[in-house]
Order: sequence, then structure tokens, then C-alpha cells
Amino acid sequence: MRFNIHFSRALAALLFLWALAGPCLALDSDGISRQAGELMAQGDLPGAVDLLKQIPAPPKGGDASAFVASRMQMARIFVSLNEADKALAAGREVLALFPDNSEAKNLVAAIGKQQQSRWFSVLDDCRKFLPALLKGTAMTLLLVLCTMLVSPLGGLLIALGRISTFRPLSALCWFVIWFFRGTPLLLQLFFIYYGLPAFGLTLPPLTAAVIGLGLNYSAYLGEIIRGAIQSIDHGQMEAAKAIGMTYGQAMRRVIIPQTYKRLMPPIGNEFIALIKDTALVSTIAMVELMRSADQLFNTYFNITALALAAVIYLLLTSIFTFIFEKIEYRAGIYEQR
Amino acid sequence: MNNVREPLIRLEAITKRFKDLTAVDRVDLDVFPGEKLVIIGPSGSGKSTLLRSINLLEEIDEGIIRFQGSEVGYVTRNGRRHLDRPQAVCALRTEIGMVFQHFHLFPHMTVLGNVMEGPLTVRKMPLPEARQIALDMLAKVGLSDKRDVFPATLSGGQKQRVAIARALAMRPKLMLFDEPTSALDPELVGEVFDTIHTLADEGMTMIIVTHHMGFARELADRVIFMESGRFLAQGDPQEFFSVGQENERIRSFLNRLL
Repeated sequence: MRFNIHFSRALAALLFLWALAGPCLALDSDGISRQAGELMAQGDLPGAVDLLKQIPAPPKGGDASAFVASRMQMARIFVSLNEADKALAAGREVLALFPDNSEAKNLVAAIGKQQQSRWFSVLDDCRKFLPALLKGTAMTLLLVLCTMLVSPLGGLLIALGRISTFRPLSALCWFVIWFFRGTPLLLQLFFIYYGLPAFGLTLPPLTAAVIGLGLNYSAYLGEIIRGAIQSIDHGQMEAAKAIGMTYGQAMRRVIIPQTYKRLMPPIGNEFIALIKDTALVSTIAMVELMRSADQLFNTYFNITALALAAVIYLLLTSIFTFIFEKIEYRAGIYEQR
Repeated sequence: MNNVREPLIRLEAITKRFKDLTAVDRVDLDVFPGEKLVIIGPSGSGKSTLLRSINLLEEIDEGIIRFQGSEVGYVTRNGRRHLDRPQAVCALRTEIGMVFQHFHLFPHMTVLGNVMEGPLTVRKMPLPEARQIALDMLAKVGLSDKRDVFPATLSGGQKQRVAIARALAMRPKLMLFDEPTSALDPELVGEVFDTIHTLADEGMTMIIVTHHMGFARELADRVIFMESGRFLAQGDPQEFFSVGQENERIRSFLNRLL
């Protein structure tokens, strides 16, 4: 009973709507198209879409041209509004009824391709940026390798100086460590590159960078190496002396070789930090990886350059991590029972 | 029997102080070539310090050390006593082998590497020669088959025998043993004891600091009892260990050990 009441009300509502919509439907498709064209000319694209939507799907076997034309028009409007999803939906509405419609097919394919090419364009950017970034990477690697060559030697000298019983030497080494660990690397680089010319010493950027990084990392490695040397059992030095070795021979043959395994984890850490610290030398007119990425970013306003630089940094640090793990294993092989 | 000969090493009133502790107190000692001297005594009595003073691992405060008749180890500069220059100190040490309680083998070198390190680095011998000496010494301590392994794989007794071979490779005139069996499991003491015994039979001059009375009884020509940095008593082992040992202090020490 109740159901019937609802039903009849719904029916009445439907009839009412039908009556309202009647005149619109009566408006022929050509008229709508024309009106939509006028709206588009006035720049009212959403209005045009609203009108075009009203062109219904044709009855089975009926004339489809108006419907197809309207949907394609909608699709083009959506494309121009950069709403690829809606454009695709309009095209697919046609394809649902007329799977063979070539116009709709082309449109859907073109939009799909355009969406895909957003990824292609990233690859294109990569191809475009890579040469400059690789050049920067080469410079970064050069800096890293130079510092890796200089700083362990400097660190060893500082460490030996620190544990020397000759007071002035150990005081000097203490001072070097205190100064270079206690001030920002950036400041040290600025001082060497921009500050030293005031004292009549002008250095090329690469030299300044290697000196700055080398001193800074020597100070850090100095403390690490000193700790490793002092961690070796004192009996080792006594045994070396007991067979007649000098202090130097004992250090070179007995003590220092035993520090290698202990040194690898902290030194690996330092060198990974070094790879990233080289980015600081971009401030003293060096074009390394960070600077190259920055230049590309500022030229093209394209974040891909920065992302690519990040990937390269990660690659470098991963390689270093891997190498240092291997070296640590090799250095400690005698401890295995 | 050696009295007519010159002592290999002679200590004259040597004194070593650590802050306010006098570890070695005006000790005189003659050790003749071929003599086997065993020093016993409670811990902290200065035995090890005395031993380490002989090869200059410990810098003494007073006294004179003579090796083969000539004064060694120290010079006086501006009225102050200094350790001699490194070459002289190292030269003396090449003549004196030392074996430590805790072996102190070089862990990063193979057994062979440990033994030939002295000839190679200190004596600067060519490799084949150093290697031959090292192989001979390893054969002497019965560890030829272990030459290519690292010390970490060895037992305590084997480690100590390698340490002895390492000291012997320098062809020393005097061997110092600082509690050579104290860090060993009881069942490993025997092999090290036998090795030292063999060495003694070959006529090596040696000073042994030990708590192992077997050394004193079987090896020693002379036993010294040390306490508070001084020699309390010395004598040949027979009379030293005889029941009639008159010194109360020594008797109670021996009773506790035996």
C-alpha cells in the first residue's frame, strides 16, 4: 500500500521533469551546437560544455553524428582546459557506443600518449642534464680522491704528533685539531680562497678546495687515528721493542697495521661525509656536482636536475660504503679463528 | 764454576721507583754465561720490574747495568740521567730476548711472519735468510706445521712457544722469561716448560721470573727470593727447597705454593 503511494509520487515527479525537459529536447542538436559555438567564442568554455552535454546519445540505429560531434567538441574543450581525464571520459563515451569511431580512437590515443610523455619528458630532461652533471660529478670525484689521498697522511702525522712526548709538537697538533674541528668548513674554505689573497696568496679554486678539505679532514682523521693507535694493546709495543725495534719500526710494522680494521668504519663514515661536504666548495667558484645541478635548476626551473644530482650522490656514497665494507673485512681477516 | 769468567750481565745497585713505591731497591746481580737464574717471590715484590729493567723496558732511577763488561743503557747529560740514544738501546735489546706472560704475538702476522720479523726488520736480513732462521726456530719449538696460520688460531701453549721462537730468532745472548706459564691453562704448562728446558740444555743464559716451582727445581743453577724490591735470599735449588730453609718468610711463601 505504502509502496504504491511512493511509486505513484515518483512517477508523478518523473512526468513533471519530462514535461520541463521536453522543450530542451525539442531544441534540435544543431541549435545546441551553434549555441555552444557562440559561448566558446565568448570564452565561456564551461558553459559550452554544459550545453553540449545535453545532446543525448542517439537511439539505436539513429543518427549519431550530432552526439559524436558534441562529445568530440567537449573532449577538445577539456584538452584545452588541461583536463585530460575529462577529455578521455568524453572520448570513451563515444567509443562505448561506437567502438570503431576512428576520430574518438585517435583522440583517446593522443591523450594517452600525451600523459605518457610526461614521463618521457623527465627522461628527456635527464638526457639533457646528464652531461653537465657528469662533468660536475667528475670534479666532485677529483676533489674526494685528492682529499682521500691527503687527509689520511695528514691525519697520521697529526696523530703521531699528538702522542709524541715532545711537548711543542703535541701542542701544535692539538691546536690544529682544535682549530679545524672547531670552525665551520665553509668558513675555512672562504678564508683560504677569499681571505688569503689579502695576505698576498691567491690560490686557484681547486687548490684552495683541496687544501681546505684536506686540512679539515686531516684534523678529524687525526683524532680517529690517534684513538685507534692508543687502543692497540701496550704489550704490542713492548714486544716490538723487546726484539730490538725502534719506535718508528714498531709503529710502522706492528702498531699501525693493527689499526686498519678499527679505522675502516669511522674513516668510511668520514669519507662519505666528505662526498657530501664537497658540495660546499661550490661557494668558492668550483663547478662540481652540486653547483652543476644548481645551475641547471636555475636555468630550466626544472627539479629533475636536483633529483638527478641526489641520485648521483646516493650512487657515489653507496659505492664507497660497499668498498669500505670490503676493505674492513679484508683488514681484519687475521682475527678469524 | 763460572766465577773466573766475566759476568754476561751485571747490575750494580739498581733502583726503580714508581711515585712513592720503590719497586727495585739497590739490587746487585751478576749473571754468568750459561747460567740459569730463577727469581721467585710474592707478586708486587719487584721481580718483573727487575727483569724489565735489564732490557730497558723500564727506565731505572739509579744504578748501573753492565752487559759483557761495558756500561749500557744510560748517559748523563747536563748532570741528568737519560736513556741512551735509541740505536744504542735497540742494539742492547737485540742481544736480550724477552718472553712475556701474555705472549704479545703480532696478531696481524702469520706465525712465520712473527718469528722472522726481528731478523727482517731489525737485522735487515734478506728475506730468504730471515725465513730460514725463522723456520729453524719454529722447528726448535716444534711448531713447523703452524707456520702459515695466524696467532688467533693457536692455543696458549703454542702461542708462548712461537713467542720463544720469535725471541730466539734474534740469536740473543740472554733470555728473559717474565712468568712465561702464568697465563696458561695447567695442561699447557708442560709444553712450554719443555721448550724452555731444551733451551736451557743448549746452554742459553736465562733469567726466569715465575711462580712455577718446577722451573726453579729442575732448571735453576741459582734461585733468588725477592721481596719488597730486594733479594731476601739466594742459593742453589737443593738447599733452597730443603726442609731446613731457615728463613721464616720464604718457608711460608713456599708452603703456600707447594
